[in-house]
Amino acid sequence: MLQCHAKSCPQGQSYPLAIRNAELEQLDAEFNADFVTRLMPKLDWAVLRKTAFELGVAELPAEIPTEPTQADLQLIHKVALETRIKEADMVCNGCGHVYPIKDGVPNMLLQDHEI
Amino acid sequence: MPEYLVIFAQFHMDFRLPELESLAVLEGVELVYDRASYTDDHPFLIVNLKSDEDAQRLIRRSILIKEVVRLYADEKTFEDLLDVVRDTKEIHGPYQNSSFRFDVRAFGHTLSQEEQVERIELFCFLPCGAVKIKNPDVVFTYIEDYGTVFTRGHYRPEKPFRVLFGVLVAKGDRGLIHTYDLKKRKYLGTTSMDAELSLVMANQALARPGSFILDPFVGTGSFLITCAHYGAFTMGSDIDGRQIRGKGDRNIESNAVQYKLTNRVLDTLVADLAHHPWRQQPFWDAIVCDPPYGVRAGAKKLGRGQKSKVPPGPLEPKKPNGEQRYPQTVPYEMHDVIVDLIDFAGVHLVPGGRLVYWLPTITDEYTPEDIPTHPKFRLIANSAQIFGTWCRRLITMEKLHDEPSDKEAAQGAEALSASPAHAKFRSTYFKEAQGKLEQLKLSE
Ligand SMILES: C[S@@+](CC[C@H](N)C(=O)[O-])C[C@H]1O[C@@H](n2cnc3c(N)ncnc32)[C@H](O)[C@@H]1O
Ligand SMILES: [Zn+2]
Repeated sequence: MLQCHAKSCPQGQSYPLAIRNAELEQLDAEFNADFVTRLMPKLDWAVLRKTAFELGVAELPAEIPTEPTQADLQLIHKVALETRIKEADMVCNGCGHVYPIKDGVPNMLLQDHEI
Repeated sequence: MPEYLVIFAQFHMDFRLPELESLAVLEGVELVYDRASYTDDHPFLIVNLKSDEDAQRLIRRSILIKEVVRLYADEKTFEDLLDVVRDTKEIHGPYQNSSFRFDVRAFGHTLSQEEQVERIELFCFLPCGAVKIKNPDVVFTYIEDYGTVFTRGHYRPEKPFRVLFGVLVAKGDRGLIHTYDLKKRKYLGTTSMDAELSLVMANQALARPGSFILDPFVGTGSFLITCAHYGAFTMGSDIDGRQIRGKGDRNIESNAVQYKLTNRVLDTLVADLAHHPWRQQPFWDAIVCDPPYGVRAGAKKLGRGQKSKVPPGPLEPKKPNGEQRYPQTVPYEMHDVIVDLIDFAGVHLVPGGRLVYWLPTITDEYTPEDIPTHPKFRLIANSAQIFGTWCRRLITMEKLHDEPSDKEAAQGAEALSASPAHAKFRSTYFKEAQGKLEQLKLSE
């Protein structure tokens, strides 16, 4: 959902941001199949899958399941709602801008020369 | 359709009809009433609904409605009312073996215990089972309306000018105000919004299971909590990371833990609405916020003052003297905040999505034309909470569709801000108003 928004960022390369040097954290989120089902249409599946794989969280199926099983839902829950990136650098593939995540909070502010 | 009596709480009067109408949309309930029969100084409104079940659905989330009563009699005198109730065969059959209770209410007057009993005894012809105070099968409701100071002057009339009788069919959810009471919330700030209005805002936003809701001025996250209560996934952003992170183990996240909403209160991030990182696509079902107005409320955006030069490249994260370097900010004018917010909502809301936000105005100078308009939006509601000389208005707008011609505009933020298209928007008013509002708030 987030893209690079630096003024000089080349068109078309500002999304998705790559995640580097990640430190993950488990969250205590109660599993609720309904919630996951409702979350699914909003997910950018390809990006979620790639990120989850690179961070070693889980291997999601190549295509978003159209009739998800309980196991699918639990896996998606784990990736999307139980895992949080505590510390990381989000790096733009277009311009190399680094947006840091500190304490689970991404800092998306630009610097003075980028506005 | 049968008639029902809506009994409102006597709070936030200007918000009551908008909430009722939002709930009708949310629950898909057909609601018919005569707008002219409603006044803010009375707690009553007669509506037509299809069934008792519809009445229950309609107000199960209501913060500003206490009860709905299936109305059987609405008369000028008690005697006439008794006659009508006697002739209403519908209520004589079904309750023969039911436990029951009588609720006697008076508006504009207080009835003593004896007076209440006196009234109840005259209904003894109703065929019923035994009296049961707690959870009876049926609650009969009898109401006397003595009017208000406005309608009757200062004397207290001997007799009510109107009496009503019905059967209680539905209750609102005012208890939630207590559940989310700020006094019991672990992480708070000076900008936290009280539970009652935050809940009403969630209703205005049509927050429901599966909706995605954003607060782009999230502060301490009051609206994330109430919208998530109704099942929405919520996210927030704020230019000031200190608000989000809070102090020690008290922050937005700990509030989500406190209310067991962690699987719906999703991420919050540090971002400036004027230079935001959200992808240009219709994604959110609602945007709910209390924008910053005035320097005291922290209205600022990234930018450079006129004298300061564009730095040639990235600056070191630490200044030469070792201090952390933060990007420079400039004041964010109230007018610009609103234009940016509505433009943002025009791009990022899904069609049919709602923008719910507060707009401060000066009570004496306000005219309805001061409410910003935008070709992509329809005004749904405008409710005032008055603080004497100034006032804040809760504005609810609905995004119409994404017209094909808007696609081009949606591609670049520049195209958009070049045509904010708020025809009636009086920018001078907002510039002047900002200064005055800050003075008023300071002096109050
Ligand atoms: C009135 S407060 C909102 C409070 C919030 N509703 C709460 O529950 O605490 C306005 C917020 O907007 C933030 N703000 C100011 N300028 C901003 C900007 N340009 N972009 C994003 N947030 C901004 C302030 O830091 C402040 O937290
Ligand atoms: Zn970039």
